[in-house]
Amino acid sequence: MKTATPGRHFLFYVIPCLFLSFFLFLYPPYVIRPFRAQGARELVVALAITRYRTPFMAALAAIALWVLVLYWRRERRWLRRLAAAAASLVIAAIAVASRVNIYELMFHPLGPPTFQAAAESKLDGDEMVIAVRIGQVARAYPIRNISYYHVVNDLVDGVPIAATY
Amino acid sequence: MWRAEVDGLRLRFHLAGINDQNFLMRDEETGSYWQQITGAAIAGPLAGRQLTLVASDELTFATWKAEQPRGTVLREIAADTSLYAKKDWDVRMAKAPTVLGYPESGLAPRELMIGLHGFGAARAFRYDALLNAKLIEDHLGPEPILLVLGQDGHSVRVFHRRIPGIPATPDFYRVLPGQSATPGALLMDSATGSEWNFQGCAVSGKSAGACLERVESIKDYWFDWRHFNPATTVYRAKGN
Repeated sequence: MKTATPGRHFLFYVIPCLFLSFFLFLYPPYVIRPFRAQGARELVVALAITRYRTPFMAALAAIALWVLVLYWRRERRWLRRLAAAAASLVIAAIAVASRVNIYELMFHPLGPPTFQAAAESKLDGDEMVIAVRIGQVARAYPIRNISYYHVVNDLVDGVPIAATY
Repeated sequence: MWRAEVDGLRLRFHLAGINDQNFLMRDEETGSYWQQITGAAIAGPLAGRQLTLVASDELTFATWKAEQPRGTVLREIAADTSLYAKKDWDVRMAKAPTVLGYPESGLAPRELMIGLHGFGAARAFRYDALLNAKLIEDHLGPEPILLVLGQDGHSVRVFHRRIPGIPATPDFYRVLPGQSATPGALLMDSATGSEWNFQGCAVSGKSAGACLERVESIKDYWFDWRHFNPATTVYRAKGN
């Protein structure tokens, strides 16, 4: 009776892992990309994938690395070993890369905001600001600054707010 | 600007994506995704929930500073200053492509609009129309309203056109430069002859000390406003 070769075993597991990893990694940025109209359903799917993909991709990476170990033990040819290692490592690398928020790479998030007195500010008088007053506290968020961060998480007179632009 | 809280849980948001050229925020506490312009959660455990609007203004720094001399301004982050938008950012943005457009409206996708919600209605006003007229009287649903351009020629505020204690709906007129000796006087009403400043408060006349109630407004591009407010109507000046 014929038994499956180590290479076939490896490919049987790694090819689906590779395909699934690429899909889970690429589908959300494909849908959620600038200068493209997003469909309601595809957006929900892309956000759900982004939200839940981490454990799945970690599992795919674990499977790929496990079958690599098995393959490595049985396969003696170095070229094949290295090709198998590259495929498994790609899956692991994709799992790690999926944790990165591309938008936060492009636009650094602002940490806890700090403020200066209006009188000390060097802003030009014609600069536009988003202004809020809660209780006795008045804040101004210059639009040129917050349009880079897009979101400022702040606490104004004890009220948590998100200044957005 | 949104109150970053749902059922007593403080939410901290970060940029998480884009939907039809309006950005998405993700809160760190629940992982829910929120649409920036609507404040609605569209995915995640809080899907369907709505953030509460916080009253805010889009003003020139000079106008804000004159009104709030003890206020504080967001400090720049030195490492990021080269990444901030340039002074002509609005000119550049006006040329940026859009993926949505509503040509039947006769408005360009990036026409700047003043958008209003309330009284079961959504209504948009061309910012350029307000720059020209300086004062627009209109209705939001059944409610009489007033859009006012500040003395700086850029800042905008919107008010209910109702004077406390006066049953009739008043008309407002712009006080021309040199026409009044009252500091800050910008408007005059037909019902009491009082003068009103840009904060919507009467600074002289029978109504002195009274203030008009504010209507929240947002300055937005037409394509964005129209897309997220499909039932919006658009103000057309008489003769247009």
